[in-house]
Amino acid sequence: MSKRALGVAAFASLAFAATACGGSDPAAPSAAPSGSAPASSPAAAGGGTLVIWADPNRVKALKPFADQFGTENGVSVEVKEISKDNQTVFLTASQQGSGPDVMVGAHDWIGNLVQNGAIDPVNLTEEQKSSFSPIAMKAVTFDGQVYGAPYAVENIALIRNTDLAPDAPASIDEMVKTGKKLKDDGKVEEILCLPVAQKGDAFHAYPIFASGGGALFGTTASGDPDPKKVLLGSEGSVKAFGKLKDLGEKGDGALKTSITNENYITSFAGKKCAFLISGPWAMTDVKKGGFGYDITPVPAFEGGEPATPFVGVQSFFVASKGKSKTLAQEFVTNYVTNKDVAKALYEADPRPPALTETLEEVKAADPDAGKFMDAGKDGMPMPAIPEMAAIWEPFGIAEAAVVKGGDPAKAAAAAQKSIDGALKN
Amino acid sequence: MAPDVPGTAEPAPRPRRESSSRPRRNLTTAFVVSRIAVLAVAAAILLYAVPPLAAAGSWFGLWVLGAATAVIGYLYLTRRFIPAKYLVPGTLFLIAFQIFPVLYTMTTAFTNFGDGHRGDKQAAVVAIETGSVRQAPGSPEYALTAALRGGELVFLLVDPDTKQARLGTAEGLEPLAGAQVGITGKVLSAPGLTVLKAPEAAARAKDISALSVPTPDGAIKANGLSRAVEGKAALVYEPACDCVRGEGGPWTADEGQGYFVNAAGEHLAQGWQVNVGFDNFARVLTNPTISGYFAGVFGWNVVFALASVAGTFALGMSVALALHHPRMRGTKIYRIAIVLPYAMPAFAMLLIWRDMFNRDFGLINQLFGLNVDWLGEPLTARFAVILVNLWLGFPYMFLVATGALQAIPRELTEAASIDGATPWKGFRKVTLPLLLVALTPLLISSFAFNFNNFNAIALTTDGGPFPAENPQVGATDLLITYTFRLAFGAGGAQFGFAAAVSVFIFAIVAVISATAFRRTRKQEEVYA
Amino acid sequence: MKLVLRHVFVLAVCAFALFPILFVVSAAINPIGTLSSTDLLPNGFGLGNFADLFGSDIYPFGRWFFNSVFIALVASFASLLLSMFAAYAFSRMRFAGRRAGLLALLLIQMFPQFLAIVTIFMIFTRVTELYPAFGFDTVWGLLLLYLGGALGVNTWLMKGFLDTVPKELDEAATMDGATHAQIFWRVIMPLVTPILAVTALLAFIGTMSEFLMASVFLRDPESKTLAVGMFGMIAGDNRNANFGMFAAGTLLTAIPTVGVFLWLQKYIVSGLTAGAVKG
Repeated sequence: MSKRALGVAAFASLAFAATACGGSDPAAPSAAPSGSAPASSPAAAGGGTLVIWADPNRVKALKPFADQFGTENGVSVEVKEISKDNQTVFLTASQQGSGPDVMVGAHDWIGNLVQNGAIDPVNLTEEQKSSFSPIAMKAVTFDGQVYGAPYAVENIALIRNTDLAPDAPASIDEMVKTGKKLKDDGKVEEILCLPVAQKGDAFHAYPIFASGGGALFGTTASGDPDPKKVLLGSEGSVKAFGKLKDLGEKGDGALKTSITNENYITSFAGKKCAFLISGPWAMTDVKKGGFGYDITPVPAFEGGEPATPFVGVQSFFVASKGKSKTLAQEFVTNYVTNKDVAKALYEADPRPPALTETLEEVKAADPDAGKFMDAGKDGMPMPAIPEMAAIWEPFGIAEAAVVKGGDPAKAAAAAQKSIDGALKN
Repeated sequence: MAPDVPGTAEPAPRPRRESSSRPRRNLTTAFVVSRIAVLAVAAAILLYAVPPLAAAGSWFGLWVLGAATAVIGYLYLTRRFIPAKYLVPGTLFLIAFQIFPVLYTMTTAFTNFGDGHRGDKQAAVVAIETGSVRQAPGSPEYALTAALRGGELVFLLVDPDTKQARLGTAEGLEPLAGAQVGITGKVLSAPGLTVLKAPEAAARAKDISALSVPTPDGAIKANGLSRAVEGKAALVYEPACDCVRGEGGPWTADEGQGYFVNAAGEHLAQGWQVNVGFDNFARVLTNPTISGYFAGVFGWNVVFALASVAGTFALGMSVALALHHPRMRGTKIYRIAIVLPYAMPAFAMLLIWRDMFNRDFGLINQLFGLNVDWLGEPLTARFAVILVNLWLGFPYMFLVATGALQAIPRELTEAASIDGATPWKGFRKVTLPLLLVALTPLLISSFAFNFNNFNAIALTTDGGPFPAENPQVGATDLLITYTFRLAFGAGGAQFGFAAAVSVFIFAIVAVISATAFRRTRKQEEVYA
Repeated sequence: MKLVLRHVFVLAVCAFALFPILFVVSAAINPIGTLSSTDLLPNGFGLGNFADLFGSDIYPFGRWFFNSVFIALVASFASLLLSMFAAYAFSRMRFAGRRAGLLALLLIQMFPQFLAIVTIFMIFTRVTELYPAFGFDTVWGLLLLYLGGALGVNTWLMKGFLDTVPKELDEAATMDGATHAQIFWRVIMPLVTPILAVTALLAFIGTMSEFLMASVFLRDPESKTLAVGMFGMIAGDNRNANFGMFAAGTLLTAIPTVGVFLWLQKYIVSGLTAGAVKG
């Protein structure tokens, strides 16, 4: 409510500035004194300012905690909202000296942020480290150092309409069979809702690709992905692309380029398909559908490799070039790792929390969170190495090509060639 | 209202030189007032802008500001340089926010500026050292309290296991006697020391992060305001050898690449920006993906730009003409309907169009009972992007043509029809040539804009469809979309390379536009 | 009969223009406001999405709306003035570098803006330090930035129109002893009202939908413009969930533009002034 009042006040002051347009007071018309009430005026605090950047979804959730942190420490805290190309904007701004002190982002940025000297390692105590789920800690660890404080873990799973398909399929083959039968019976229009689109979707296709025996990178001695060994053109990957082709438009028709990020969740919510492969972000819509559903791990091919999904971990980073580094460290290591903050972030944007204790608490009220977590527990943290940027698009295009009926060997070789070219391997 | 003017039939007098009319002018009130206003504005700007610059010690900034103000003041006080009086206001902004950024960006074409090479060497060294600091094995996680010993900032450190308090200074660790440790495990008070409360400590955050307490194995540094950690940098830069010593090293600086490299040819992740001369340009020319597909992409690019301009102009002008009739009713409603596409956020509408072309879920196939994979086949995808661009752009041409039509006196067209010309002939002989005088410059700039219309492609097909055997060049790729995929798609953002690519594309557009522009000279002289 | 043909043609074009917008309308009034392309007709009717939009805690839509209109009005007015000055010089005066200047003006627009963002950051980081009132997160800084683009296309547009205004008019005024400033304000400006109105409208629309610069410039949730704020609504994973609200917002975005258009329309189509030119 106080925010609303402030908004009105800001509105009024801006309106005043507008009427006094061209007025002689150049200091008055700064855009909007923002919502963070007591903290926003730098003069109010002797201790400097902590600036946090986040994407639009999280700003609202962070604000109360940011303000509380500010009051406790007698500093002013500003939460700013970046809506597009957050990683690039952060890097550019940091480099020029107008970046934030704390950045919120996905763990797979770490490699690129580190090579640009944009973030510092985060010192978590052993006790703190063990309070996070192991996969979250693994994700934020890069080159042996922890670079972020994780707060949410997200991965995709199989969501199924239990009214149409009461039993969880044991394999992809079984899922396709059930889907086909439902389609033939006229109960659904599509076998499976998994976005492919014209340019492919590596993130959603990865579990199936992995189950078919495909791989992206070889591993280094330390078990990290090795950018020198791209495996998209390998024999296993060609086989996996072949499997995708069998599921594609010229085969079973389970994968289609017409199913896209825009329509796959709505189609499922509109009962046009019984199976959806998606993440926690789909649940708001799925619940609107008004049918029974269940969440299980993405199944594997019969006799295939496990269908490991990618796991993404949302994290807080300490900016190297921030002006208030000590405050940033305090905020990231000692404050947001707190379970109340984790809970509030979950409530503002329901993604499974990375803190085990909070997850347990959340599970009681929302079993979906736990089910997603289980589906991802053997998942693969998205490779955080900067070279991963070179993979997404060629992989996606190869996927779309085979789904449309293209030759798997050709598509895999072309992807491999283009990635090797880009990485100068 | 308008003064009486000689008819158009009379030969136009030769353009008069501006200077020749000068002596006729009198010292009017408006003249005096405007000069005073100019002086006042200049003074106000100086008063506002000088103090911060002086405070920051930016003498160069002051010099530029002073020179600019002097030039502007002189320009508006003298009676000379009339064209400049009209051009300078806009040009100042243009220089500051367009020309300078463009020139600066072009200079990056000669560097390896991009991800991994954004900053300078010093920044890279700092990043390497901080990134390599590891917590000393088995060392405690100290609970930290900042305190003052006299005026000096010191750390009061408590080992959580032993609850033993110690004093950390820039000289090292020493025992701390008589400290009172609270239940949080932090020192509450100690004799002879002033313990800083949270806000006081926060106020000294800079000093706290600067204090490093040396230990035999490394150094203790604050980690936030309430904890301190003993750590040691695994990598340390040595100016003497211009190299980084430590794990995997020595890593010697390679100024050619902007990396620290070791004997095995590996490099540390953090690099710095170096000059690479014409390397980026050479890469554009020698890159097989660029040179191999250049002709095809360029051809399509020209077709796309021409079709976009011709289509939007033809449709926009036709509608404007259709509505430009004295007995036409409902023009207000029609005009609003036609302007609406232009009033909607383009990025949203591009996404919506993309969905309408969807084979199974799209409105278009559904309405017409088709089963075309519009964006999945090269020809239909090309048709689709041109159609979408037509939709986005024709309201603009409509508005401009509507405005232009008002400027054409109805008497001229009426005269033509009285002379017995058919409406088509009247349009071709009278209306169109006059429209073109007003709109040719705009058509050229529209061509140049569409030639580089990144969004129209990126938000609809993103270059696709792609053949299975080549994931790098799609059927609807423009030069700008496919070269930028190379520059930003892989291995992070390569700004230097992207700038070099831009210079090439820029040159192409410049040649085409300049050629077209030359032809307008004649027009300008005929009708002006 | 000819009139009928005109109506048929214009109606067909209107259908083409409105067809995708109908889809937005449908999504905006559809209670299950999601982005599913199959349904042009809504499954229901409700203003829930509009209510959500204005009642939202997360998205201060009203503020965005105000910010956008304010910025667009000021920026379009200022850039209209600047480009009008420049166009007058380019059309009416002959000076060294005139055609080169025009060409340069065109070419400078061709440089990809997103590359220039790095430099924009560089400039405004410094400006923010020195003059916070014109720095990041301020409307005034953004306005300055927009004025940098004022000369761009608008100058070309207006120069083309000024070329169609007979030179005899200024010649006559000059003979009468008018100064260049008097000619500009009293003779030229009234004659080009339609094109001033068109340019003002185009500048207004351009600023309303400008996104790239505004998104890096305005970072306080309350200081955003509609284009930036609404992009944030459907960015990332929330694309489906917020689409109904987004569609409602898109429709509302068009209101100020249509309003400005209605206001300017009488100037745009007032053939009177133009008729008088050669009367």
